[in-house]
Amino acid sequence: MTKSIKSDSPLIEVKNCTKLFPATVALDDVSFTLLPGEVHALVGENGAGKSTLVKCISGEYAMTKGELFVEGEQIHLRDYNVREAQNRHIGIVHQEFQLMEEMTGLENIYVGHYSQKGPFVDWKDLDARAQKLFEFLGSNVNYNVPVKRLRTADKQIIQLARALALDAKTIIFDELTAVLPEADIQNIYRIINLLRDNGIGIIYISHRLDEIFDVCDSYTVLMDGKHIETGDVGTLTKDRLIQLISGRELTKVYPQVPDSVSNDIFLKLKNFSGNGFNNIDLTAKKGEVVGIAGLVGAGKTELLQSLFGNNPVTNGEMWLNGKKINIHNPKAAIKEGLGLIPDERRMLGLNRVFDVRKNATLANLNKYKIANLFMDQNKEYEDAETVMDQLNLKYSSLRQNINTLSGGNQQKVVIGKWIIADTDLYLMDEPTRGIDVGAKSEIYHLIHELVAQGKCVILVSPELEELLGLCHKIYVMYEGEICYETERENFSQEEIMTYLLGSGK
Amino acid sequence: MSDSKQRLLKSRLSLKTIINDWMIVFLFIVLVALSSLNPNFRTTTNIMNILRQASFVAIIAMGEFFVILIGHMDMSITSIINIVSIFFAGFVVNNGIPMGLSFIIVLLMSVFIGIINGLLVVYGKVPSFIATLVVMNILKGLSYIYSGGLPISGLPSSFGKLALGRLGVIPYAVILMIVVAVILYVYTEHTAIGRSFYAVGGNSEASKLSGINTNFVIILAFVLCAILSSIGALGLTSKTLSGNVTLGDNILFDVMTICVLGGTSLSGGRGRVVGVVIGALFLQVISNIMVILGVNTYLQWVVKGLILIVVVLIDSRSKKE
Repeated sequence: MTKSIKSDSPLIEVKNCTKLFPATVALDDVSFTLLPGEVHALVGENGAGKSTLVKCISGEYAMTKGELFVEGEQIHLRDYNVREAQNRHIGIVHQEFQLMEEMTGLENIYVGHYSQKGPFVDWKDLDARAQKLFEFLGSNVNYNVPVKRLRTADKQIIQLARALALDAKTIIFDELTAVLPEADIQNIYRIINLLRDNGIGIIYISHRLDEIFDVCDSYTVLMDGKHIETGDVGTLTKDRLIQLISGRELTKVYPQVPDSVSNDIFLKLKNFSGNGFNNIDLTAKKGEVVGIAGLVGAGKTELLQSLFGNNPVTNGEMWLNGKKINIHNPKAAIKEGLGLIPDERRMLGLNRVFDVRKNATLANLNKYKIANLFMDQNKEYEDAETVMDQLNLKYSSLRQNINTLSGGNQQKVVIGKWIIADTDLYLMDEPTRGIDVGAKSEIYHLIHELVAQGKCVILVSPELEELLGLCHKIYVMYEGEICYETERENFSQEEIMTYLLGSGK
Repeated sequence: MSDSKQRLLKSRLSLKTIINDWMIVFLFIVLVALSSLNPNFRTTTNIMNILRQASFVAIIAMGEFFVILIGHMDMSITSIINIVSIFFAGFVVNNGIPMGLSFIIVLLMSVFIGIINGLLVVYGKVPSFIATLVVMNILKGLSYIYSGGLPISGLPSSFGKLALGRLGVIPYAVILMIVVAVILYVYTEHTAIGRSFYAVGGNSEASKLSGINTNFVIILAFVLCAILSSIGALGLTSKTLSGNVTLGDNILFDVMTICVLGGTSLSGGRGRVVGVVIGALFLQVISNIMVILGVNTYLQWVVKGLILIVVVLIDSRSKKE
């Protein structure tokens, strides 16, 4: 059991929880305890049951079997729902925003709980309360403008404020920092420490293992719906944690970087400028993984989108394979052998009404035309099957809807789509966002397999460690421009960091 | 290897895909059950009548199906039907233009209307509901200006064969519907462009990033809708041998009901041509039974309204799963 920081009675106690979904056991006899002033990491691969457990606590799901105690009081599971959980001071901060974009931060924070003066909303009172709240948080987010105008990190503060406004004693962070730049993560850490000091219990879900060592007191590992281990972070090593999560010995998360770089320059950009970036000079060779590092808003995504013809180019030259080209739309980009793995997998990468096969062949439908009109569906199935097996995709049928796959497997389908389309230049925008360690490692191996075949990969990632582990060459972008370039043998994390934060030169 | 082959087989014959189309199966069962209820209903004449009455509306619904499939809505079909009916009759009766040529002219007109709808949606970024509502009103105005609101009768009786003629016991109209349905079935499920409609309806942005010319697909859906509406309009016109500016006024509701009944998702990306045909038959059977039972017209509207809302409710429930 966890060593308690304070010896009070637990905030949350889950006893022998089982949650069944049609055809799957999402949680199998899992117990979990959260104490006041404890930051408890909940870790495991996608599909391990973290979200399910958290949703059973927050009232979104009802347990099939088991008991739930909140602040020592047993809950009647039948009457338990999100509203009831809120009344019992349980708040949740989602990774994907559940904010009303057009409304101000203030409106969002108190929505559903506005204080009233007669029939009218008492804005003065709300404003005073918000002011106190933000003073407590030591944060100066402007909560009087529509939320859509705020930065990602600030939106998360608003979500957190919403949980606190309901007087939460338990706060669930669901992959909060997955999309934040370093400086904002530090701010979140500061706030977490503040909450801990005030006796608030925190359940912390994250795929970034470093964070667990940075802020958490204790951990619980789940795998395939089963409880694996609970313990004290102080006595844990990173290697052991990885082993617990993946259930297997991972010699290394990052494979050996292959010696695959050829002498042929494949992509060359000269003064390449467009919406969100300026004067980019960049070269990438066949068989090379080229990393682009930068903060959120540095122009990395915009650059990839422009290369792919989905964001206007205003100036400069793009050379591919020694030929100068202009790409005006994704269709033309695909014709030139480019493929984009976008950052928003679900919004941009996948077609959620389609099954595995139809997603896999979407980028190259022309390949399957018979008599220039009809689709050769047999060949489609064969190709999809070959590539998906090659990618080690875990699926039961090619007709399975893409939604039923885990995040890591969905991403494999997106990459498989470009393999089927015979892509030479892979533009990867945060390809491992929100997927678990095991699947990440598989994607890393895949990236290296691609370059070993002579393909070229341009990799954008918010995790510097990932770029350092995978790339032959790294460019650093700051405010739309490239400010630093370094080859593998000269990689220095400190140096890259300095340029990343704009304090280089 | 055998494992892989087994999976391949499983991929294609999965029971799930059939259950996915449960609406179609359900409708079919209801159809058969209903038709065995009443001996008057079961006669060949009556069944052929139902098929004939359903056929032109089914063709129009197949047009709307494409627009709903890409996640949009075409309100202008009522006016397309009206303007095609009145112009065709006008060309033939007033101007003495041969029927074949008149047919080509109204077809080109409908293509043009479809393109306008599509352009407004794609480049004007006007919500399709509003864009097509505007086009609907403009077309309505034009057809009243052209005809003064009066019907134009006197089309040659040979034209009436389209609606009333038959081959053996099977009406021409039914044959036409089957031909259109088969072509569109193959088009949607066995061609690359057909797949694109589903892709755009499912996720337009992801489709664009997969190299699909989404703008073209959207415009094409509106054009197909207009063309099929005008073919249906000619069928309806041939029934009375006269062009009429109010011919399509009540049809939009039936067309929407048919599409939804047939399992077309209003949020786009899901639906099948076969479903639309069965949906059309189902609606016609319901109407027919109500007529046989002597239910008055206004009450029929109420019943149809209830059917639509029930189906939409079932659809939205099943989607939550």
